[in-house]
Amino acid sequence: MIRLEGVTVLYRERAALHDIGLQIDAGERVAVIGPNGAGKSTLLRVVAGLLRPAAGSVELGGVRLDGLDRLAVARRLAVVPQLPTLPFATSVEEVVALGRLPHEHPVRGMRPSDRAAVAAAIDRVGVGHLLGRDARELSLGERQLVLLAMAVAQDAPVLVLDEPTVHLDLRHQVEVMELVGDLNTRDGTTILAVLHDIGLAAHFFPRLVLLDRGRIVADGPPADVLTPERIREVFGVDPEFVRLGA
Amino acid sequence: MAAPLHPRARRAGRLTSFVLLPLLASLAACGPSAVVPTVPPGATSSVVPAATATPAPTFPVTVTDDEGTAVEIPAEPQHIVSLTPAATETLFALGVADRVVAKVEDIAAYPPEADDLPVVATFQGVDVEQIVSLEADLVIAGGGNPSFTPISAIEQLRRVGIPVVVLYARSVEEALAGIETIGTAAGAADAAADVVGSMRADFDELAAATAGLDRPKTFYELDATSKIYTVPAGSLYAEMLELAGADPITTDDSYEISLEELVAADPEVILLGDDADYTTVDDVAARPGWGDISAVKDGNVLAIPAYVLVTRPGPRLADGLRALILALHPEALD
Amino acid sequence: MSPGSAVLTARAGPAGRLGLARRPVGLAIVGLVLLAVALVAGIGGGTVAIPPGDTLAILGRRILGLDIAPTWAASAETIVMQLRLPRVLTAMVVGGGLAVAGAAFQGLLRNPLADPYVLGTASGAGFGAAIAVLIPVRALVLEFGLLHGFAFLGALAAVFVVYKLSRVGASSPMTSLLLTGYAVGSLLAAGLAMAMYLSGAGLRQIFAYLLGGFDASSWGRLAVAAPLIVLASVGILLRARSLNGMLLGEEAAAHLGVDVRRERAILLALASLATAAAVAVSGLIGFVGLVAPHVVRLVVGPNARLVLPLAALLGASLMVGADLAARLLGGIPVGVITAVIGAPFFLALLRRTRSGYEL
Repeated sequence: MIRLEGVTVLYRERAALHDIGLQIDAGERVAVIGPNGAGKSTLLRVVAGLLRPAAGSVELGGVRLDGLDRLAVARRLAVVPQLPTLPFATSVEEVVALGRLPHEHPVRGMRPSDRAAVAAAIDRVGVGHLLGRDARELSLGERQLVLLAMAVAQDAPVLVLDEPTVHLDLRHQVEVMELVGDLNTRDGTTILAVLHDIGLAAHFFPRLVLLDRGRIVADGPPADVLTPERIREVFGVDPEFVRLGA
Repeated sequence: MAAPLHPRARRAGRLTSFVLLPLLASLAACGPSAVVPTVPPGATSSVVPAATATPAPTFPVTVTDDEGTAVEIPAEPQHIVSLTPAATETLFALGVADRVVAKVEDIAAYPPEADDLPVVATFQGVDVEQIVSLEADLVIAGGGNPSFTPISAIEQLRRVGIPVVVLYARSVEEALAGIETIGTAAGAADAAADVVGSMRADFDELAAATAGLDRPKTFYELDATSKIYTVPAGSLYAEMLELAGADPITTDDSYEISLEELVAADPEVILLGDDADYTTVDDVAARPGWGDISAVKDGNVLAIPAYVLVTRPGPRLADGLRALILALHPEALD
Repeated sequence: MSPGSAVLTARAGPAGRLGLARRPVGLAIVGLVLLAVALVAGIGGGTVAIPPGDTLAILGRRILGLDIAPTWAASAETIVMQLRLPRVLTAMVVGGGLAVAGAAFQGLLRNPLADPYVLGTASGAGFGAAIAVLIPVRALVLEFGLLHGFAFLGALAAVFVVYKLSRVGASSPMTSLLLTGYAVGSLLAAGLAMAMYLSGAGLRQIFAYLLGGFDASSWGRLAVAAPLIVLASVGILLRARSLNGMLLGEEAAAHLGVDVRRERAILLALASLATAAAVAVSGLIGFVGLVAPHVVRLVVGPNARLVLPLAALLGASLMVGADLAARLLGGIPVGVITAVIGAPFFLALLRRTRSGYEL
């Protein structure tokens, strides 16, 4: 589904990503982890087509990304953004409805099918109780769920999440992660999430990609990726694995 | 048509005093200004059917206004609107007051018979709609650069088909020609010829009275509250001063003169013109830097209470000249 | 019925207060009726009052060719057809154009305090006008003088300079635009002040232009300005989708399928064109472009597809009303009326935007 080969991205003459090779098949659920500055956000933006690599190729669904216009990309790949600011009072429905942008009629706007998709997304993510509220007045966790609903409304086979649990309390972190897992297992959506919380990543994702200073240093199941040596080397901390309860 | 400064307006906005001054005074590029008007009687600027024996004015008539526009007046105007104080005076002097329906605001409020006329123009602007609703068929407007009557108003009036004659006099001769133009346009060419004739006689007489006299260097003050304003070269002001037997200190079209220039010119006489209403002779003497000027040292600072007449190119222009001579060479009037 | 399908019927802004908010067609009708009332009031009202009945009859007779016997003076007809009608139509077009441009700038810059003049158009126009006054040439092209032409070009040039200069910033393009707009605007304002200082006699002309007004309206000028403003506004309306996409920021917009760089340039160009044409025709009249979009958003939410056309209708009505008020109050400049009404609204708006900027 997503395929990167030899991708190198330069940022101020420094390689933010160096010779990245990554293949994610349809239906996979992958988390990208790594310390700050490792290049996680850069990788996300390359995958989403916002950044053109200096070298290498990016394919989405078998098609080269640089051959697709923004609308075509948006129909194939949805991104749940980090919490943006809203300049105007915007209802929850309006935010979710934005997800239909790549599908709605350019001039006339949403068709009944679009409105149905919005309704379905709201139900799927479970934010129906927030209808009619101004999105700016929601809690961070609620807002993140609304953004997730927006991405679901976009109806794309690939869902990319950019640090979806930052600023969230524990309950909402779990809620978001469980939803994401559900979207993957029930709807078959391919998931790529950038996470900073390796515990969360390890718990909810069957495959982790560990980035360090622009390179992939490990790619596989959590147990294989998160070895004490690797954690010590990449994150610079001495890990202690504690098993809580059963 | 030139009009003196509006003291109320100036007091209302010292900050914009330098706006009012050039706006309301005639702004002249260098124009010919004869010291003594000796143009033979007769038409100067317009196709005038007057000066013949026919008593009734013939319409339609076409006059050329001071901007060179040929204005056609199809029939004798019955609803004349005057947009300059000079035109108001002129129309009344020509005996067509019964056909004048509206006027511009005039601080000097002359003639008193015009008091009852509705005002359709002030310093703020011209009420074109009122003029249209009064069914105006002739409008006399003021020109100049910048235009006394806003150009947009002139254009709008012309666009709805009302003849607009734009006048601004940069010399005595042009002022007289303007009166004749108004006469022709209003169907009172004979009366205009009479008025102009008698004015010419006055001018000739007054000019002759001052002809051989000493010409003191004269500073004619328009305003000096912040910047100093005086008469531009080639303006009606300058010619009037010359006719009055003065050697006027002049400046360029900005009307501004610096204190250094003034002191260097060292006038022998200072005349308080447009600011005579609110400036006293003592005020002038007290100004810093002015004490060295000959006129101040010798006490030759005089006010011209009739300053309005000095540049109002209407029937009383000769009275303005007389007022100037009274200040400069009173002995010539005996 | 699941909560989600409630969205099938509810299309309003937060807590869609009015029942009307659910039916944009109803709102459009309200807007059109308001505009029609403003039109008749604006045409009939003024220092010479013409009763609404006569106004409608004159319009019917002259425009629709209806056979109505005149019960009014010929001068009334002249006033309506030659003076008032072009004036009111100009006010409508300018008000509508400024509202659409204002909404576009607000959406593009994601700043509720933005108005059509935010990127230096006002200062550019003023500066251009002042330069024109300094040049002692009186030229007339299509009934527009040198002043209008220079004001138009000045406005466009200012935006162009701001756009080019803002591209080299490290901050987000929109912040960069805003800040550059402020800087360039200040510079041009200084230039304007200098030009005004040097202008001497022409100062009054510059002032009159800056204060704005519809005194000099004519059919000829309307014929030139209206197509520009209307076409630019329609162009913006057709791009409502891109404006909606920008609601969550440029990156989110790109993820939603908006070609951000291209749309930003096109929307900026169209909004600036409409603003420049409006400013060239009627000077700098503020607050309509700021206030109209906000009032509409209060009722229908931020969906640009609804906001843009409704704001145009409201802006047009507001401008006609402001011009009428200005005329009835003794010919004070229209900009004063819009400021008197708009400033309190603006302050109220500031108090409401306490939330919405913070995360």
